[in-house]
Amino acid sequence: MPSLKPDVSEALRYLGAQNAPENLCRQTAEMAETIASSIQPRYTYRIYGLEFQSGGVALCGTNIVLTGASASKMLGECQQAALLACTLGTVFDQRLTAFQARDMAQAVLYDACGSAFVEAGCDAAVAELAARFPDRFLTDRFSPGYGDLPLSLQPDICAALDASRRLGLHVTESLLLNPVKSVTAVIGLSDRPQKARIRGCAYCQMRNTCALRKGGKNCAT
Amino acid sequence: MQLDIFQNKIVLLDGAMGTVLQQKGLPPGGHPELLNLTNPDFIRSVHRAYFDAGSQIIYANTFGANALKLDGTGYTVQEVIAAGVRLAKAEAGPEQYVALDVGPLGTLLEPMGSLSFERAYELFAEMAVCGEKTGANLAVIETMTDLYEAKAALLAVKDCTNLPVFVTMSFDEGGRTFTGCTVSSMARTLEGLGADAIGLNCSLGPDKLAGLLKELCENTRLPVIAKPNAGLPDPVDGHYDMDPEAFAEALLPCLEAGVTLFGGCCGTSPEYIQAVRRALEGRSPAPRHFWSGGFVCTPTNPLRLDDIRVIGERINPTGKKRFQQALLEDDLDYILDVAIQQEDAGAEILDVNVGFPGVDEVMMLPRVVKKIQSAVSLPLQLDSANPDALEAALRVYNGKAAVNSVNGKPEVLTRLLPVVKKYGASVVGLTLDEAGIPQTVEARLEIARKILETALSYEIPREDVWIDCLTLTVSAQQEQAVETLRAVRAIRQELGLQTVLGVSNISFGLPNRGLVSQSFLTQALSAGLTLPILNPNQTEMMDAVFAFRVLSGADVQCRDYIARFSDVATAAQPVQSAGITLEDAICKGLKADAAKLAKAALETGDELSLVEKRLIPALDRVGEGYENGLIFLPQLLSAAQAAQAVFEAIRASIAEKGGAPVKKGTLIVATVQGDIHDIGKNIVKTVLENYGYEVLDLGRDVPPETIVQAVVKQGVSLVGLSALMTTTLPAMEETVRQLRTLPEPPVTFVGGAVVTPEYARQIHADYYAKDARESVEIAKKVLE
Repeated sequence: MPSLKPDVSEALRYLGAQNAPENLCRQTAEMAETIASSIQPRYTYRIYGLEFQSGGVALCGTNIVLTGASASKMLGECQQAALLACTLGTVFDQRLTAFQARDMAQAVLYDACGSAFVEAGCDAAVAELAARFPDRFLTDRFSPGYGDLPLSLQPDICAALDASRRLGLHVTESLLLNPVKSVTAVIGLSDRPQKARIRGCAYCQMRNTCALRKGGKNCAT
Repeated sequence: MQLDIFQNKIVLLDGAMGTVLQQKGLPPGGHPELLNLTNPDFIRSVHRAYFDAGSQIIYANTFGANALKLDGTGYTVQEVIAAGVRLAKAEAGPEQYVALDVGPLGTLLEPMGSLSFERAYELFAEMAVCGEKTGANLAVIETMTDLYEAKAALLAVKDCTNLPVFVTMSFDEGGRTFTGCTVSSMARTLEGLGADAIGLNCSLGPDKLAGLLKELCENTRLPVIAKPNAGLPDPVDGHYDMDPEAFAEALLPCLEAGVTLFGGCCGTSPEYIQAVRRALEGRSPAPRHFWSGGFVCTPTNPLRLDDIRVIGERINPTGKKRFQQALLEDDLDYILDVAIQQEDAGAEILDVNVGFPGVDEVMMLPRVVKKIQSAVSLPLQLDSANPDALEAALRVYNGKAAVNSVNGKPEVLTRLLPVVKKYGASVVGLTLDEAGIPQTVEARLEIARKILETALSYEIPREDVWIDCLTLTVSAQQEQAVETLRAVRAIRQELGLQTVLGVSNISFGLPNRGLVSQSFLTQALSAGLTLPILNPNQTEMMDAVFAFRVLSGADVQCRDYIARFSDVATAAQPVQSAGITLEDAICKGLKADAAKLAKAALETGDELSLVEKRLIPALDRVGEGYENGLIFLPQLLSAAQAAQAVFEAIRASIAEKGGAPVKKGTLIVATVQGDIHDIGKNIVKTVLENYGYEVLDLGRDVPPETIVQAVVKQGVSLVGLSALMTTTLPAMEETVRQLRTLPEPPVTFVGGAVVTPEYARQIHADYYAKDARESVEIAKKVLE
């Protein structure tokens, strides 16, 4: 896997500091380097066939049913879906604790870079998936908690991916992922182009050819 | 089971259970252990197939049969384990053995998670006792990624049963587990704790494990196990990419590395074990090469004692009023800060001593160890005269520690050495006995020999015995300085042991102490001192160590020395130009300047007016900038930390005078039960503390009852609660509800990513705080 780095502007966005002064931008960029030199996101994914049921979208070969309108809408034109889990691991948590004990200002930078970094890990996983299936079209990735997709799916998703063994990723009783910088997500695979409903045009495979975009509109709504 | 079954012999273990189950159509997840009761014939058939394939030891189907994972299934640990062990035993013939299989608990231990070490131990002990009772021949702890969890499991098996015990952990290609544990830390810690064989399982194929297994063999005298996966899984269909022949072929380099126990993990089946048996037929164990030098570690920080290693001495209340105050006030954050300063100054081991009148060391030493280990990765030397405190701290220490100290008195040796042995620690032996400190080298050497021989008789390895020849104050007993140096030389030359000396003591009572201490240090290093105990914050002492390593040739090409002194020009935060005011230093987050200017201000003014007239207005200026979007969170926090430096100067000044600390009021903060994200709460704490409030931080994942008890016990009138996730909001509501039932309910304020003003009203919290800055406004209103 090539070495990944957090997106600095995304980290600044997490800090609520889009218009940050230059020295804060520089500090954030330095922190992004620091984290990337010591940690890399780990991810795992599996692909499942879909079965559309009255209660939601079932993933074949598992006990998982993605209930709610959001999943049905996102996966409506898909034949398969990938489950994805990505984490920075407990080493991130340990270092965040150490930063918090040393220097809270550095700690919030580290935390924001961590959030951006786990997203970068998900992006890399999706890129890998797209490269493996060049003739398929991917939906945006969406996670439990998005729309009406329930958080209560977390334990089953992690179990299906064997995430505790493969990634050291656990789900707490209150349905939080632990280590803290972790994401689970669903990505639909379709035989026709998919709208960029969540992440917007910048991430869309069709951004250069999209008719809506040429007309100054987008498909997000 | 006789231990010689797996000593110096090639032994075949089994392959995967889960893979075979999934091949038969069991969906992933769920509880495969329940099949012991619901489909016993099937489980028996898998065991049968492994024995037929040549396995000599098979693992019963009990990997996840712990009370946490079985909760809600309607089955008990006892039922599932009894059934699992019996099924396996029913298939075992002569010279075929059954292991109780113990996997991870499925949730993270403290400090990363909220499961305590003690609770983990209980859960493992329950499994171990059931396993022994139902006839398991041994216990296998496997697929561990957290050394702390492996330690809890190993102690449980050792304490509660007589079973031999194997431990295997899972590593990535970089040689780390998911929690960052290194191969050598694992090996030294687990061997020290009394495992009978150790090794690696899962995560990688045998081709990727051979290098790590070689490293493992260099770090243990125990038999070594390899139980790899059948290569890597395909993300689309989950199939592993190595066939049985390729798998068996790839295990041969592991044999050469020194492995003698072979099996398979994910993706393997009885065919793989057959192939391994064929591949190993007629082969014998390879010679082993153990590195027998001294070693201490934490999981992420293995430390070979093959060079001078500085032991930091500052975690010790003797003669330090501020430290004593912190101990009496239970201010563990201060102690952590002392640890961090020493790590940053270059100490490689930290001595930890919390002995002081009024402090219960048996309670305090383990708490301080846990606190330090939550944020500092250095190995610790546990320092106490109280054997119970040492035992309690060794128990919760994560890694291989050192104990300071024993001496030549028989009653001390017989009391402490069994504890040192049980927890696999290194031990410092002081060269004194009933008759006191001997005046001659020969007599000190004699005591050192006695300590070493007694330690060896307890099967403590030679490399774990360190000798402290004792530094006496040169102004009081001048002739003894030379004797001490001669003793160090003799210990090195005649016994070859690690040598320890508390260096600073030499100069007590003299002017310009630093010079005498530094000169003595250099001479002692030259005589063979390997583990100087000193104050690493005194740069001249660390400088002397760096210079010595250049002259002794240990610092090859003077790299470390050059790096140290080329850094001086660009030191972390130099004190700025003279013209800067205290207010500017705070606003700009210049910690060093703020501390210096505060000290200067305290020479002419009092503490309270420094806080009220200068510190708070400066912080308010920063706060306004933050509210107006001119200053961002990291800058706000930098300013808060500069203010912290001012407060530290004030505390030190008051502690010196013996006066009452400046406190503007006390409040409690906590992240509610079920929530593990606490950076938001910590930000609030940092900012509040730097306005002079005393903040009692109850931590994260705090049950409502604990918060109520703390409010009652401390008589606190303000409580801040944080929650990050929708799933933990009910815990916030419940906490507020319980607090409101108190006769004198405290004022509550709530905040966190998902909390809104409406929600705060709905759950009857008194205030909603949108950020740390607003919490200060609330504290001002309520507490002043």
